[in-house]
Amino acid sequence: MAIVQAILDGILIGGVYAVISIGLTLVYGVMGIINFAHAEFLMIGMFAAYFAWALLGIDPILAAPLAFATAFVLGWLVQRFLIQRVLAAPSVAQIFLTVGLLIVLENGALLLFGSQFRSVNTPYQTMSLSLGPLFVSVPYLAAFVLSLLSGLALWQFMRRSWLGRAMRATAQNRNAALLMGIDADRMYALAFALGVGLTAFGGAIILPYMTASPTVGGQFVILMFTVVVLGGLGNVLGAVVGGLAVGTIQSLSSLAFPIQLQNLVLFVIFILMLALRPEGLVGSRR
Amino acid sequence: MKRALWIGLFAVAAVLPLLLDPRGYWIRVLTLTLLFAAMAQAWNIVGGLANQISLGHAAFFGVGAYASTILLVTYGLTPWIGLVVGAGLAAVAALVIAVPTMRLQGHYFALATLAFGEVMRVVANTWASLTGGPVGISITFLPPNPLMYSFKTGLPHAYIALGALALVTLLFEGLRRSALGYRLRAIREHEPAAEVIGIDATRVKLIATVISAAAMGALGTVYAQLALFFDPDTIFGVAPISIRVALIAIVGGIGTAVGPILGALLVIPVEELANDVLSGKAPGLSQLVYGVVLIAVILWRPRGLVTFFTARRTAKPRAPGLVPEGQRTTP
Amino acid sequence: MTRSTTAAGIGATRRTILAGAAAVSGASLLPRRAGAQGAAVNVGVILPLSGANAQFGINSRNGIELVAEEINAAGGIKALGGAKINLVVADSTSTPTTAATVAQRLITQNEVTAILGAFASSLTIAISEVTERRDIPLLTMSFADQITGRGFKNIFQVVAKASAIGKAQFDYTLAIAGAAGQKLGKVAIMYEDTAYGTAQAGGLRAGAKAAGVEIVMDDAYPLGITDATPLINKLRGSGAQAVFPVSYLNDSLLIIRTMRQQRITMPAVGGAAGYVIPDFEKGLGEFAEGVLSIAPANYDYRPELTERFRKKYGYFMVHEALEHAVCLDVLAQAIERAKSAKPEEVVKHLRGARFEGGWAKAMTGDAVQFDATGLNTLSVPVMTQWRKKELVTVWPKEVAKGEAVWEKTS
Repeated sequence: MAIVQAILDGILIGGVYAVISIGLTLVYGVMGIINFAHAEFLMIGMFAAYFAWALLGIDPILAAPLAFATAFVLGWLVQRFLIQRVLAAPSVAQIFLTVGLLIVLENGALLLFGSQFRSVNTPYQTMSLSLGPLFVSVPYLAAFVLSLLSGLALWQFMRRSWLGRAMRATAQNRNAALLMGIDADRMYALAFALGVGLTAFGGAIILPYMTASPTVGGQFVILMFTVVVLGGLGNVLGAVVGGLAVGTIQSLSSLAFPIQLQNLVLFVIFILMLALRPEGLVGSRR
Repeated sequence: MKRALWIGLFAVAAVLPLLLDPRGYWIRVLTLTLLFAAMAQAWNIVGGLANQISLGHAAFFGVGAYASTILLVTYGLTPWIGLVVGAGLAAVAALVIAVPTMRLQGHYFALATLAFGEVMRVVANTWASLTGGPVGISITFLPPNPLMYSFKTGLPHAYIALGALALVTLLFEGLRRSALGYRLRAIREHEPAAEVIGIDATRVKLIATVISAAAMGALGTVYAQLALFFDPDTIFGVAPISIRVALIAIVGGIGTAVGPILGALLVIPVEELANDVLSGKAPGLSQLVYGVVLIAVILWRPRGLVTFFTARRTAKPRAPGLVPEGQRTTP
Repeated sequence: MTRSTTAAGIGATRRTILAGAAAVSGASLLPRRAGAQGAAVNVGVILPLSGANAQFGINSRNGIELVAEEINAAGGIKALGGAKINLVVADSTSTPTTAATVAQRLITQNEVTAILGAFASSLTIAISEVTERRDIPLLTMSFADQITGRGFKNIFQVVAKASAIGKAQFDYTLAIAGAAGQKLGKVAIMYEDTAYGTAQAGGLRAGAKAAGVEIVMDDAYPLGITDATPLINKLRGSGAQAVFPVSYLNDSLLIIRTMRQQRITMPAVGGAAGYVIPDFEKGLGEFAEGVLSIAPANYDYRPELTERFRKKYGYFMVHEALEHAVCLDVLAQAIERAKSAKPEEVVKHLRGARFEGGWAKAMTGDAVQFDATGLNTLSVPVMTQWRKKELVTVWPKEVAKGEAVWEKTS
């Protein structure tokens, strides 16, 4: 029974990890850069949702689209004015630009919002449903459902819409896409903005049980990378699978190992995955 | 001409510590700058020559630091010997990580090393009986004794750091010009072609990594003896060590001997200056300014500060429209 | 040019950004910033003003600034002709190396008489390596056992050791439960794997062992944990009657919320840090009511002093602010006694000394007495309980301001 509960919990939280990390893999898939500042947009999403709650009284889950929009706009600007400039530079320069961006965003938030921990007080924060002997936490369930919905929405977008296909074309082969008349730069901006927007969305939906502070991004960085690698760098579906995998591994490992080592288990799996199957669980070897 | 410049630089660096207050602040900043330059230079061996961007070099650094410190605290062994032991253990650690990762390219290698660094941190944090755990470990307070690496003032530390930098730079240059260096360059230019002419890419990169790790491990001891206290978060830290040394090498000019030195001369003093002038004024302001400066430098000189000085005009950066195919998706 | 303090409250960030920008352009970048020693006494303040502990660093700085203003308003250091206290505030960041370099800078450039800081034990220990060798006194409220355990002569800690705080956390809980008619037989300990959590957990274990109580769950968890569900699942299955979590804020909220979600009603006795700041109550609302936590000191012991903080900054005086305030006041008293701002003179009047006036009264014991290792032997931790958005001291009985409420579990 403990195992079933652990799997259930793992899936719930895994869905959230997935939606947070989808953006990171999308950015890598389309633009080829590893965005170290990605988790900072999670923090921005959390703050956007927090202020919507504190100033306007909107529940954070309902404010998630607002968080998405905020990060989308910010992401677009960042991509246009910063990332775009280093796309022709060595990839190390790109990576470290994002490191600089991380520092700027984190400390900018500290200056603007202050260091206090912002936590929302929702009516359902301690509610849970009982399925027989199993507990399902309501905030986690709500987050999971929204993750699913947003994941589906993204999938539909990428498959069906013109923009989505244009982005996938650019990811596949930039030159060919250009030749087809796609504005590749705009696709890059769209991918980046969409990627960070989704992560911010994720931030908003976990606000009911997490706390926002300028440094909260740092708690998720390694997790996000683990998800993305497990699923396959650049693979959107992989991020979903990776997210669920990470959530379940984290949850199950606590039954067998000390909780203190839960990250260790993840890292070892991370390294093994890279060593044995770098394209991830879902990716295909090109 | 170039050699004269290097000698001049070294002479200045050799004389400078004597002009500073030996128990003061500036000598510490100088020592840290020199030490980080040395660390970045060690990183440069694997990052610049072998083109394997490692984001987990702190793993080797920490292994060296803990090795010498534990030997000192438990057995009273002089850190000078501990330094050699640490370097050796770091080399072993490099072999361990190399097995699963040496074949990985680019971003995958970077992420794998990042994970490895974190693994070491968690291990150090958890294995409290060996490392002291999260509370950290202190270098035993000893009376000044050069044989036990204990000094009264900051002056010897500065010279040790300078010496370390000189040694690692010579190591870098020596490797670069050696047969191994040529093989590494061949691999960097076009790995499949290099393999065709008979270069065992994995083995060559492995050797470079092991050397880099050993140097990093030795520097860990140097750091430990300077700081006199550290904990897992500090010594295995992604941000304070791994990312910082890579950043310094890249900002200065990856793959060049002078790059890490230029990078350290920018990064360390800028962060210190920002802290000095701004940190008391508004929380986060000094770090923000430091981040802005970093972004500005990378935007301005994406290939490193060294491009200021090289007469060689690197090929005009390819317009974003013409990125070679398949560049990012192959593992 | 001496640097003056800015009495920034929590809301003044925008103003300070503009002030900072203006100041940067005019700031002198050359060394030697100490002014004529007769006019002011420079006191270094090194705290984490950025990074994960920024909240606590800022709280601490506020406490110090409050006392500095009071002392200066009352005429400064009388023994030095009314010399004003000049705080030199610097960000330690979250890296111990930087903290130590900053300490070196304050000692060399600003010629500080003493240093206060740095909240987190690892930062304090790093700074102490510098201050000990330069014979500069370091006053702190960090409580890792190592701080006073190395035989250093220039370090002064105003609160009890981590192991003592942990033991008190356990012993008081046992007593409170006993007074409510429950004999505790099985308890759970969970702590984040930082210096603070690990050290205090050690004290809890010692307390449980001494009392013969069974520890059915003893788990460390990584700092920055994003999901407490596995922890609480384990707790639920452990059969514990009470749980002792030692956490910062993010994890404390996660733990309490997840416990309530899983209908776990056993009493939780927190280990200070995240459990005793206003943000805890703001986050949990009604679910914060009744949560117990140990604290090295509490503001309701001397409201006549601590309410001044609330008036100035708008929130109750959290324990780190209180303890840092005590550090500064004790330092000022030592300078008065030494009749000098020279660090070596001041240290002589700190070592083994007893301080009774001013803010020293705000510590339990009504005074501060340093022993040979620099530890304040009079400081007794207190058990606090959340009552209607306030932290009320409920144990030991001698200093309690309210009756402890204990919910019995089977």
